[in-house]
Amino acid sequence: MTTTLFSFQQHTLKRQGVSVLSSLNLQIQQGERVALLGISGAGKSTLLEALRRQQPKQSAWSPQLGALVPMLSVFHNIYMGALNRHPPLYNLTNLIRPMAREWQSVAALAQDLGLSDKLRTSVDRLSGGQAQRTALGRALFSQRDILLADEPVSSVDEQQAEALLTMAIQRHHTAVVALHDRELALHCCDRIIGLKQGEIVLDAASSSLSISDLDPLYRRG
Amino acid sequence: MNTTAARFRRTTLLIALIGFAALWLADTRITTGDPGLELQRIASGFLAPDFFASDQLIPAIGYTLAFALQGVAVGFGCGFLLALFWRWRLVRGFSAVIRAVHELFWGLLFLQVAGLSTLTGLLAIAIPYSGIFAKVFGEFFEEADRAPAHASPIGSDAFSLFWYARLPLVWQHMKTYGAYRVECGIRASAILGFIGLPTLGFHLETAFRQGDYNEGAAFLYLLMLLVLSLRFWLKPMLMPVWLIAALVWAPPRGNVTEGSLSRFLTQDIIPAPMRQADWQWHQLGDWSSMLLHEQILPGLTQTLVLGTAALLVTGVLSLMLFPLISRQFGHPLSRSAGNGLLVILRTLPEFLLAFIFVLLMGPSMLPGILALSLHTGAIVAHLCGRFTDTLQLRSDASHGLNRYAFEVLPRIYPNFLALLLYRWEIIMRETAILGILGIGTLGFYVDSAFSELRIDRALVLIAAGVILNLLVDAFSRTLRRHLRLRHSLSDLG
Amino acid sequence: MIQRLPAALAALCVSFLLSACGTPEQKPVLVFSAIPDQDEAHLMQRFGKVANYLSEKLDIDVRYVPVKSYSAAVTAFRNNEVQLAWFGGFSGVQATQLVPGSYAIAQGVEDPQYLSYFIAHHSSGIPYNNTVTGDGFPDGMEGRSFTFGSKSSTSGRLMPEFFLREQFGRSPEDIFSRVGFSGDHSATIALVQSGAYELGALSYKVWLREVAEGKVDLNKVNVVWVTPPYPDYHWVIRGDVDQRFGAGFADRVQQALLDLNDREILDAFPRESFIPATNEDFLPVLETARSLGLMD
Repeated sequence: MTTTLFSFQQHTLKRQGVSVLSSLNLQIQQGERVALLGISGAGKSTLLEALRRQQPKQSAWSPQLGALVPMLSVFHNIYMGALNRHPPLYNLTNLIRPMAREWQSVAALAQDLGLSDKLRTSVDRLSGGQAQRTALGRALFSQRDILLADEPVSSVDEQQAEALLTMAIQRHHTAVVALHDRELALHCCDRIIGLKQGEIVLDAASSSLSISDLDPLYRRG
Repeated sequence: MNTTAARFRRTTLLIALIGFAALWLADTRITTGDPGLELQRIASGFLAPDFFASDQLIPAIGYTLAFALQGVAVGFGCGFLLALFWRWRLVRGFSAVIRAVHELFWGLLFLQVAGLSTLTGLLAIAIPYSGIFAKVFGEFFEEADRAPAHASPIGSDAFSLFWYARLPLVWQHMKTYGAYRVECGIRASAILGFIGLPTLGFHLETAFRQGDYNEGAAFLYLLMLLVLSLRFWLKPMLMPVWLIAALVWAPPRGNVTEGSLSRFLTQDIIPAPMRQADWQWHQLGDWSSMLLHEQILPGLTQTLVLGTAALLVTGVLSLMLFPLISRQFGHPLSRSAGNGLLVILRTLPEFLLAFIFVLLMGPSMLPGILALSLHTGAIVAHLCGRFTDTLQLRSDASHGLNRYAFEVLPRIYPNFLALLLYRWEIIMRETAILGILGIGTLGFYVDSAFSELRIDRALVLIAAGVILNLLVDAFSRTLRRHLRLRHSLSDLG
Repeated sequence: MIQRLPAALAALCVSFLLSACGTPEQKPVLVFSAIPDQDEAHLMQRFGKVANYLSEKLDIDVRYVPVKSYSAAVTAFRNNEVQLAWFGGFSGVQATQLVPGSYAIAQGVEDPQYLSYFIAHHSSGIPYNNTVTGDGFPDGMEGRSFTFGSKSSTSGRLMPEFFLREQFGRSPEDIFSRVGFSGDHSATIALVQSGAYELGALSYKVWLREVAEGKVDLNKVNVVWVTPPYPDYHWVIRGDVDQRFGAGFADRVQQALLDLNDREILDAFPRESFIPATNEDFLPVLETARSLGLMD
């Protein structure tokens, strides 16, 4: 039987005191791969944050602004996903001098992300796409069951974006990803949730949808 | 590693190595005796301040404020004028020289000509502050956005462009910085009491040196109250009122007696061997070499050692102290306590800290190092802590030590280093006051020269100090440029 | 702040100009000062009484200005900010050297035979001795830390350094592990009592007063050596006072000081009474200062 991971019933979500999503009804089961679609400002990020509050301990989190530490290396930025797994002194040692064990596991992940040659480079010297991959890398390195990602591949070129997103989603049993690329959403996810003007206006399996079905989400009025 | 952080690490290592070398060279022997009795008296003095022991309280406050306000206002105006010509190397050099001389030394020099007068008090603050304002304002203009001026119609005259497209961009910063300088000015004005001007420092120093701690505590509390209450009464609207009040209370007037200026210029500052009619070059050579070996070299070495050691300790202290007030750590209660501690540390004059530490640890360099570092460390920690409040960390950012090491420290490190390097010059300058307290910096020899009424020697020693300051400043600028640190407008402290 | 900066600056300029115009001619006021050698917090009270006394005797306004250091007193005297001053031996000869025509007019009856005490913290183990023995320093002083008083003090620096150099044949820096300047006599007692310095030298008068007032813990600090006597404090007056205040003025000031017998006022110094003095009385001090390189 399936487990319900996230559940909202007649919820109102606010951002800085202003209601963004009202009368929200939504359930997400374990094992689902959900794409959130909608124009910017539709409430995707707010919804993701609300989801995260329901499963704080299990969520791998990749926010829109990667919130990386610009002057630290890619290695350290990815390693930060594991800070909660180790005692502070261990982390501090690893900050001053990376340990072989941690280096190997981060390097393996970096290879999948196409960042192998950048491990020693600080994030402020990377391109936007590389920085985004680093942010995704941190989420993956946190080794949690649920991926909550907000536009994780928006700066990566199209060919790589799909491979990267697929890889990220496959490493989690459940994923909720906010996207703006409709095709990517249909390819990588099995459920599409469309947001518009503070409401869920679309909630369907991606197999039942075509690109044109998604157009109304982006139309004015 | 090819990281930005690695460059900071290398610089930190360099500073730490130099700092440790200085600490190793410095005389830090602790000779504790029986400080118990004296400390007990100090403590009871602070618990029971006696506000009525002296009838000089009100005039002392009046003079402290008057010199500070007048000095800062004149410095603001002159600094602004100098900043307009900041492109000129000559102006930059001139500003650097006048601000490298401590207020106390300016005061001692003017004392020779204008006597114990209000003019001496005003000029002692106004001159170095002109140099400081010139530098800060000059950098404001340099860093300000040039686009508005470029976008103006071609052929607009430079004068109009300045008022329309340059000044408005930096005016707010200038005002904020001016207000901050009033706070420094009040401290400087109080310190001028050490050399005899009738400000709070006059009575403060007397009381502490004589062991009248109840009276001293009263003066100290008043000084802290003045500084802490600034933001309540130093309103932009009221500024002209305060200035006029300052002028009425202490109209700048010098006790310039007939011939004292020409005597100062034609006799006092001429090297002693040259004052004889038939002097010879070798006499001047002997004199210079004596001064160099017996005073300048030991003085410079000690100043450099003390200042550099203090820089290291300041760095360590500020990194330890800033989390106390940062919104990224702790909770409101701990932050209020932290803020209180930092306010006290940076308002307490260095000399007082040094005085108490001498009683505690004996007369080595350690009291000086600690006094300077605690004071400066509190300032740097305050500015760093404020800066961390502007950081937007992601909501799943770690906590405690992890947050400090991975999230906060790397982000504020450029600002921290810029501030620290910028403070180096100021620390070196402030060693002057320790010299007057008897710690063997260059200030000690300057003070001795003045007390032996040998102005010629004092002037040479002050010039040596200026050169040291310029060198330190140049070195710190090179490091900052190497790190591509541009202290943003808010960083200047 | 500084919204109205231009206006404020203008006001400042105007007042500068006004002050430059000078002050109108006033009745001459005799201003005097004194070196801040002890009990500085009460200088105003102590010397205010002296001002009143002189004012009454001389029938002229007399004002006392406090100064912060010995050299400030000399500078004020030199700049004619003060016309009369109560100097120590060294500051007195500095003043008479710098101001041609100025001269000593009076000294305390004790001053021709002034003394310095060397004091030590009990942990040094140097035996107590408060009499002039004429012998050399006691054993065990070398290699310890030592503090003078003010750099320009005769009893706190000049004479102690003279006797140290004379008997050890070396500079204080070479005799002691560390040499400091406490700033004044009371501070010397406090520093040696707290153990911050093991040894110190100061004016015997200040030591006796502080002991009498109970401020000294004699179990912690005590006298270990007394210098031979030497001339010290004296009143110096500028040579041009007769022109300014009328012929014979300096003599009247001298007489007023010699006539002084009010116990309360004399205690301000503290002296039993004043006796005449001349510049020649202080030649030994001048020579000592020169031999120590403190004067050219």
